[in-house]
Amino acid sequence: MCGIAGRILEQPGLIGVDLVALMQAQAHRGSDSTGFALYGEPRQNSYVVRGVASDRRALDQTLDGFLQTLRAHDSDLIEDPSWDDTTQRHVSLRMIIGELDVRTWLAEADLQEGLEIQSVGRSLEIVKDLGISQDVSLKHNITDFVGSHGIANARMATESRVSPTASHPFWARPFPDIAIVHNGQLTNYFGLKARLQRQGYTFLTENDSELIAVWISDQLSRGLTLEEALHSSVGELDGVFTYIISTLTQIGMAKDRWAIKPLAVFAHEQEMATATEEQAVRKLYTGEVPISNLDGPGYSTTWDVLPAGRA
Amino acid sequence: MGSKNIAERVEINAGDRPVKEINQDIRSQVQAGNPILVSNTMSRHNLGVGLPASADILFEGSVGYYCGGLNDGARIHVTRDCGWGVGEAMATGHITVDGYAGMSAGASMLGGTIHVRGNAGPRCGVAMKGGDIIVEGAIGYLSGFMAHSGRIIALGGTDDAAGDSLWGGEVWVDGPIGSLGVDSKIIEPDPPEVESVEKLLAQHGLDGPDRDWKKIVSAQRLWHFESRDARAWLMI
Repeated sequence: MCGIAGRILEQPGLIGVDLVALMQAQAHRGSDSTGFALYGEPRQNSYVVRGVASDRRALDQTLDGFLQTLRAHDSDLIEDPSWDDTTQRHVSLRMIIGELDVRTWLAEADLQEGLEIQSVGRSLEIVKDLGISQDVSLKHNITDFVGSHGIANARMATESRVSPTASHPFWARPFPDIAIVHNGQLTNYFGLKARLQRQGYTFLTENDSELIAVWISDQLSRGLTLEEALHSSVGELDGVFTYIISTLTQIGMAKDRWAIKPLAVFAHEQEMATATEEQAVRKLYTGEVPISNLDGPGYSTTWDVLPAGRA
Repeated sequence: MGSKNIAERVEINAGDRPVKEINQDIRSQVQAGNPILVSNTMSRHNLGVGLPASADILFEGSVGYYCGGLNDGARIHVTRDCGWGVGEAMATGHITVDGYAGMSAGASMLGGTIHVRGNAGPRCGVAMKGGDIIVEGAIGYLSGFMAHSGRIIALGGTDDAAGDSLWGGEVWVDGPIGSLGVDSKIIEPDPPEVESVEKLLAQHGLDGPDRDWKKIVSAQRLWHFESRDARAWLMI
C-alpha cells in the first residue's frame, strides 16, 4: 500500500527531520525500504549526483570509470566523492560534478557496470535504502540535511523487486531536479513505457512510478505547466494511484478517478505538509490545525516553494 | 441528542501512546460505567473499536481510520473530522461526527446510526447491510456503492456516481445530485417512507421545511449480471 509524504518549509531548514518524522509515522505502510528526495541550496555551476555502487570491494574502479566518462564530456568532479561508511555491499555515493549536458553524458554514464545513478540536480538529492525511516535516516544522516522542500516514501513492494534501486523516490531521468513518490499501481505501464522509449527515454527500473515521473517531465518539456501536466495525467495514466512529484520550485499531487489512495494536507501561507495518513501530518502540528483530505476523484493540485528570503 | 457534559466525563489522553493501551483504558472506564472524554486524539487510528451498548464516549478532536468500528451499541461523538471507515461494520449504536466523515463512512455497517454534521467523502455507506447514515452536507463520489440494505440520507446533495451498483440499499437526497452511478435510478418515495425518514431526521434535530426528496435505488439490471452484458457496465 505504501505511504508517501511531502514537505515545504517556510524557510530553508532541517527538511530531513520533518520528512523522517512523517515517514516514521507511516512505517507500518511499508517497511521494505524508505527513501527521501531532498532539495538543498541550488548550485550555480555544478550538479549533485546521487548513486549506488553495487560492490564495495570494487569502489575504486567504479569511481575511476565514473570520472573517465565525466572527463570525456568535458566535465570533472568538483569535490571529492563521499559515501556511507557501513560494511554493506552496496555503496551510496554522493558526487559534485561540473557543468555538462546531462542527457548526453547520462547516455554513456548509464552504461557503466556496477553503478546506478539515482538522481542528478542543481539541488535534488535522492537517498533511498532498505528498512524503515529511522534505519535509513541513521545510515544516511537524513536529519542533518538542510533544504527547502522534499518528498518521501515508505514502500511495500507489490510489483517489482526489493532493492535500493527499486525503492522510491524515483528521479525523472534525465530531467534534473524532478522526483516522484507514488502510492498505487499503473495498469497501462507497458504501452506508455514503449511510447516514451521510442522518444529516446531510458529507465533504470521496471517500476511504474519511474514512468510517471518521466511522463510528467516530458509534458513539462513540451511547455505544459506542472498543473496542466498533473491534470492531464489523470486521463493518460490508468490504474489506482496517488502520487507526489517535486521540482525545484513546486510540489504537486494527482490521484486517479477511482480516488481510493488517500492524501491529507496542511498548507498554511508558505509551508505545507502532506502525507498518506492524517496522523502523520499531526506529528508536525500537534495542535488541532485544519487538515484537508484530498479525497475527490481525479484531483490534482500544486504548492509553490518560495525562494529563500522571499517568505 | 442528549450527551453528558464534559465535566462529568473521565478523561483519557490519547497522544502518542500505543493504540492498544488507549483502547484498554477506554474499556476499563466503560466497564466501570463511566462516560469518557478522549483528548489529544491526533487523528489516531482504530480508536474506540468494538464497544458495547453501555459505552458513552466523546472524542475531542479529529480521529483517524475506523473510529467506532464494530460498534456494538456504544454512543460515540467525534467533535472534528474522521478518517477512513468511521463506524465500519458496526452492528448497532450511534455515532455523531461534527466535521468531515472521511472516505467509506459506515462501510459494511449492519445497523445503528451515523450522523455527520459536515460532508462525507467518497464511498459513503459502501456495502452497508443496514442502519442509517445521515449527512447534513454532501456525500462523496460513489456513495452507496454496492449497498445491500439500509439508508443513506444526504441533505446537501451528492458528488458523482451516486448509488453506483446499489443492490438493495437506498440513497435519499435533498439537493443536487452530481450524477447517478451505474445501474441506479431515482424513484418517487411513498409517503410512509418519507414520514419514516423525516421522523429519523427530527430525532436528530433536523426537522426542516418540506424537502425535495429524490430516492435513489437499484435499477436491478445488475441483479442478473451476465458476462455478455459486461460492456454495459464498463466505465473504461
